[in-house]
Amino acid sequence: MSQSLRPYLQCCRSSLTAALAISNFASQTSERHNVPEIEAKSSPELILNPITISRNEHEKLYIEPSVNSVRISLSIKQADEIEKVLVHKFTRFLQQRAESFFILRRKPVKGYDISFLVTNYHTEHLLKHQLVEFIITFMEEVDKEVSEMKLFLNARARFVAESFLTPFD
Amino acid sequence: MLLLDYQNVLIQSLLTERFSGATPASIDQVVSDFDGVTFHLSTPESKTKILISINVKCFKELVQYGAQQVLEREYGPYIVTPEPGYDFSVQVDLENLPAEEEAREELIMKLALLKRNAMAAPFERAFDEFTKLAEEASQYTSESAPQGVKEGGDVMAIHYREEEAIYIKASWDRVTVIFSTVFREETDRIFGKVFLQEFVDARRRVVTLQNAPQVLFRSDPPLELEGVPGLKNTGEGEISYVTFVLFPRHLTPQRRYENISHIQTFRDYFHYHIKASKAYIHTRMRKRTADFLQVLNRARPENEERERKTASGRTFRVQS
Repeated sequence: MSQSLRPYLQCCRSSLTAALAISNFASQTSERHNVPEIEAKSSPELILNPITISRNEHEKLYIEPSVNSVRISLSIKQADEIEKVLVHKFTRFLQQRAESFFILRRKPVKGYDISFLVTNYHTEHLLKHQLVEFIITFMEEVDKEVSEMKLFLNARARFVAESFLTPFD
Repeated sequence: MLLLDYQNVLIQSLLTERFSGATPASIDQVVSDFDGVTFHLSTPESKTKILISINVKCFKELVQYGAQQVLEREYGPYIVTPEPGYDFSVQVDLENLPAEEEAREELIMKLALLKRNAMAAPFERAFDEFTKLAEEASQYTSESAPQGVKEGGDVMAIHYREEEAIYIKASWDRVTVIFSTVFREETDRIFGKVFLQEFVDARRRVVTLQNAPQVLFRSDPPLELEGVPGLKNTGEGEISYVTFVLFPRHLTPQRRYENISHIQTFRDYFHYHIKASKAYIHTRMRKRTADFLQVLNRARPENEERERKTASGRTFRVQS
């Protein structure tokens, strides 16, 4: 793990743990409704201050807490065209499977690549520290995966080009 | 399975089966090949006479560049009048096959290479033109050569697909083959760029490839194609032009046959590997997604609501 990654992840971990202190809260505006306030934004007093943790301008985590839900958005490093395509493909692939990733949001928040929405129901039924763990693992793995795919693509292209040109000799 | 075969495998296996002395049966089969080429294998008259017809999109252009002569040279005695709806037909009689095993196999191969031979005509012509120009040029020094010899022959265009074409141009010291290729999708375009860059760099990087043809690519029409009608430049990088520069050592009579076959497969080979990489990346993402799910499932608390028992086996319930 690189020198700057460790404190970044440590900071994300503590901020997420702190932000996930949420409790059941029924809607104030419509009776018998119970919705994630961060999405509904029905009353300003229920929304807490959002936090951005950034390692550099491309890699950042945006946490928007509220009384009964937290929205976590992640921006993934994209150094060039290839990485951009690979990240786009990968996040789209995950979002299509959002049903099985119960905290994954189907659409990312504007300006970010992928978003999660954790509500009080999730924290009640699931282990909170493991949820944080999942997001941290995701952040680590996604970078690794993208750069591996890129390496693979380059290696394959190289091999393919060489084998095509060899028979000409 | 890295390089593509030059022949049509389906025709090859079908004919091998028929030629091996199996009882004659009627055949009526349409076989497709790369670049929208279709074959029709049928037995219209009797079960022993197999008619093989080919339909190529750009056959008119190929005839212009001498395809008829090349095909006559290759298939002389087997040619029959083309079947309606097709461009060229050959017929083989199972009762009249060459006696030796080897000659039969050669015939099968030849028939399976029908597409390759039809497409080879402009290449052969360019190679001949090169020989002629090289001879002419050897009489002059580079300064005093008349314009015609210096510039080389005309550009031959083969519009072998809907929007894509091969351009061939002979000059006194080389033959230039240019493929235009279209990428509809952003991903394909970027993957294509990565692959093409490696084609360009391969020659520089690997010592054993020093003798390979030079490869260049760009997204606007190269200078060789100046004044060729029907060139499109969308300006969005959808179309790429890939140039192969074949040097005299690739054009010698010994290497000619192999090299013509090989360069024809370029487009299919290139696109095939782009698709293959995409498929691989897809399976990789699938696997990685499964891993992520596993991590997330750790968040589910284990054994909730399990019935608890005492040491003696009696159960107890919390009174609510």
